[in-house]
Amino acid sequence: MAQDTARDIAQGIKPDKARGAAKGLLGGAKVVEVGEGVAVAYCGKTLAQLGADVVKAEPPEGDATRRAGPFPGGAAHPEKSGLFLALNANKRGVELDLGAAEGAAAFRRLAARADIVLEDAPSARLEALGLGYDVLSQSNAALVLASISPFGKVGPYAGYKATDLTLFHMSGQAHSLLGPVESPDDAPPIRAGGEQTGLVAGMAAATAALMALFRARMTGAGAHIDVSAHAAMATQLISALAGSSFGKPAPSRDISQAREAATGGVVAAVGGVLPCKDGYVAISPREDAQWRRWVDLMGNPAWAAQERFITREGRERNFPELWELVGQWTQARSKHEIARMGQQRRIPCFPVNTVSDLFRDEHLREREFFVEMAHPIAGTLRYPGAAYRLSNARLPLAERPAPLLGEHNDMLGEDV
Amino acid sequence: MLPQAANSDAMLATNTGVNTGANPVANPDANAGANPLGGAGNLPLSGVRVLDLSWIIAGPTATRFLAMMGAEVIKVGSARRPDPSTRGAPFQAYNQSKLYAALNISTQEGLELALRLAAVCDVVVENFAAGVIERLGLGYDELRRRNPAVIMISSSGTGHSGPDKDYVAYGSLLQYYTGWNSVSGNAGGEPIKGGLWADPWVGMELAMIAAAALNHRAASGQGQYVDFSMAEALTAGIPAALLDYQMNGREREPQGNADAQYAPHNVYHCRGADRWVAVAVTNSQEWLALCEVIGRRDLAADARLADAGGRKAAEGRIDAAVSEWAARHDDYAAARLLQEAGVPAAPYLEPGRVFRDPQLRESGFFARRRTSDGQERDLPGVGWRFADATEPHITAAPALGDHNDYVYRRLLGLPESEIARLVKERVIY
Repeated sequence: MAQDTARDIAQGIKPDKARGAAKGLLGGAKVVEVGEGVAVAYCGKTLAQLGADVVKAEPPEGDATRRAGPFPGGAAHPEKSGLFLALNANKRGVELDLGAAEGAAAFRRLAARADIVLEDAPSARLEALGLGYDVLSQSNAALVLASISPFGKVGPYAGYKATDLTLFHMSGQAHSLLGPVESPDDAPPIRAGGEQTGLVAGMAAATAALMALFRARMTGAGAHIDVSAHAAMATQLISALAGSSFGKPAPSRDISQAREAATGGVVAAVGGVLPCKDGYVAISPREDAQWRRWVDLMGNPAWAAQERFITREGRERNFPELWELVGQWTQARSKHEIARMGQQRRIPCFPVNTVSDLFRDEHLREREFFVEMAHPIAGTLRYPGAAYRLSNARLPLAERPAPLLGEHNDMLGEDV
Repeated sequence: MLPQAANSDAMLATNTGVNTGANPVANPDANAGANPLGGAGNLPLSGVRVLDLSWIIAGPTATRFLAMMGAEVIKVGSARRPDPSTRGAPFQAYNQSKLYAALNISTQEGLELALRLAAVCDVVVENFAAGVIERLGLGYDELRRRNPAVIMISSSGTGHSGPDKDYVAYGSLLQYYTGWNSVSGNAGGEPIKGGLWADPWVGMELAMIAAAALNHRAASGQGQYVDFSMAEALTAGIPAALLDYQMNGREREPQGNADAQYAPHNVYHCRGADRWVAVAVTNSQEWLALCEVIGRRDLAADARLADAGGRKAAEGRIDAAVSEWAARHDDYAAARLLQEAGVPAAPYLEPGRVFRDPQLRESGFFARRRTSDGQERDLPGVGWRFADATEPHITAAPALGDHNDYVYRRLLGLPESEIARLVKERVIY
């Protein structure tokens, strides 16, 4: 581990030793993040909330996500982008112009003391600037460099551009997202909201980087990791790729064909999303015993005794009619009422929550999932926390809000 | 078990010291611990051993990542209550690169064997409903009595505390409960009805947190219990919508393929049934290149379309122009023409076409292995490469009981006669 500098201490960032306990799981491991995309920022955010000391290096005009929003009142402001604020909490931030000699030198100094460097520059840009792995590892043999790009550095698409939209569509996820439709040619496949491909690539990079960091700690050997957002998205498709490998095609988007192949993995065949008084409820009484409890919950309507709904296979084959009939029962009730009644009978059954529901959710409140942070310009906001609670480490989830542009430029001194 | 850390200052994470007295591992042969699937070489998790009590999707995909990166993963299951995914092809991918031992933990002797296995592992992963692992007698308190530095990862639908911890969950339903599905869909449309996102997304994050806990243990010597909520992993995946609601007091309607700022940003129908090309133009250079490719210099010359705001305002007109062009092309050809001009574009692919796509093929994502049915098949790998050519460890999925001999005779040191008795009495079963 690199030593804490006098400047860190002067800024009130106490070394772990002084606290008497390592921070989080990563104990102040030094991470430098340089890049523009969601993936590299999400990777850095993940490491920061696990206790790494993450420095985000931004170009002088600021990270691209500062211009992405959402913004209060829709008015763009570089310190008020919801996406930027969420992706960069618990990091420090510096401005760095890698194209200028001074900026490149500062980056080299940061990298020389880092445990992990994260970057998403277009292939070969860092090499061209003299900042590639070969150079950086000369003065830091244990360095883990994670390079994130749309397609990785090898293969026919290595030089291609990608966005969240194009990656989502080419990696098979759009095929199933909407669910079966009457006429696929009139119902285009859609992407998921929320920049999901960037989150997947960022999580893949964090996973690989932490495995490499572990090896570096055990053996002293560093690593250069080539993370492909496209390949990471392919691991999200693992069930369907296994089907392809075993000669089992994915079901068609066409509902009439999907019905024939209902047991082949159409989500809509085993679960219904049904209208309620106040929104929707999602239910999946797929096993026979679950189904019988569900029929009982509905008060044993006569239609449920029809031959076609008796077996699981029959219900899956006739799922459009099934959900239509169940929907007639659900629409007179509220989503939370139905979910409670169903769960009391051990039936998989959940309200279709909107974002506002989540902030009122008792379960999330009791688990203290959201963390509040005050930002000097964007104000006090609640951020999603971590999906995990640890027995023997405290996670620094609300250490500091996202950095202002150049907030920690002071740390770029010669002794960094 | 783990080797000594290179950094002599580090308090050691290895179980070796812990086990020597409390639970001597009868392992006279120095090579007895070698993974029968082959050497992990210099893979990052070489020397790490994982007891995999998980099943279905999320847990097994997590341990799959650990196994591919060099950990020795011992999956344990029983014919008494088989992994529900066993009958399908996906099992063959979820469980690649692992060992698989049969063990009936509902018996007293089976439980004791599971505890002995946990004592010689670094990480234990399970994804039963909250409370089940404790009722089985394999909770964290039991495991750490045998193995104080053990890392136990417990994943459940809604986590292991809170009023809804016992909710019966499937990944597909959690996507609704967590708001994840609420940010997707067509504007004004019904909720989306598909998307198998939750389980593999959680699987990756579980592997990530295991790696983080291993780092912590290498530095501190401490084990860890990780209470993981699949639901929270999904809600953590929609941060912008959560902040938008607080900033603006609104539930932003999903936007299908559209972007708030940029146009064109959509899929366009190509030649053939259900064939589409996705196109996203995010700057003026790409816009001018697009106009050239689709033969519409008139649009490029239109000053009203020169900036992103002007293009977004004219989205319908631009979509019509791109659609007209796309309809005359095959999806791959359209994407290639646009990419060659520097415009982000890709074909919409269903999974079978993803499987055949040249990028995954030629970058070495797939590995050809003989699967348990005797066929040579292309099996998926991981989303990253180590530039030093450290290849991921990829083998086909095992069948239940394939590695009983390694696990019970060589690892735990049971005599063959004892193993035969346990098989007969349906403990090793």
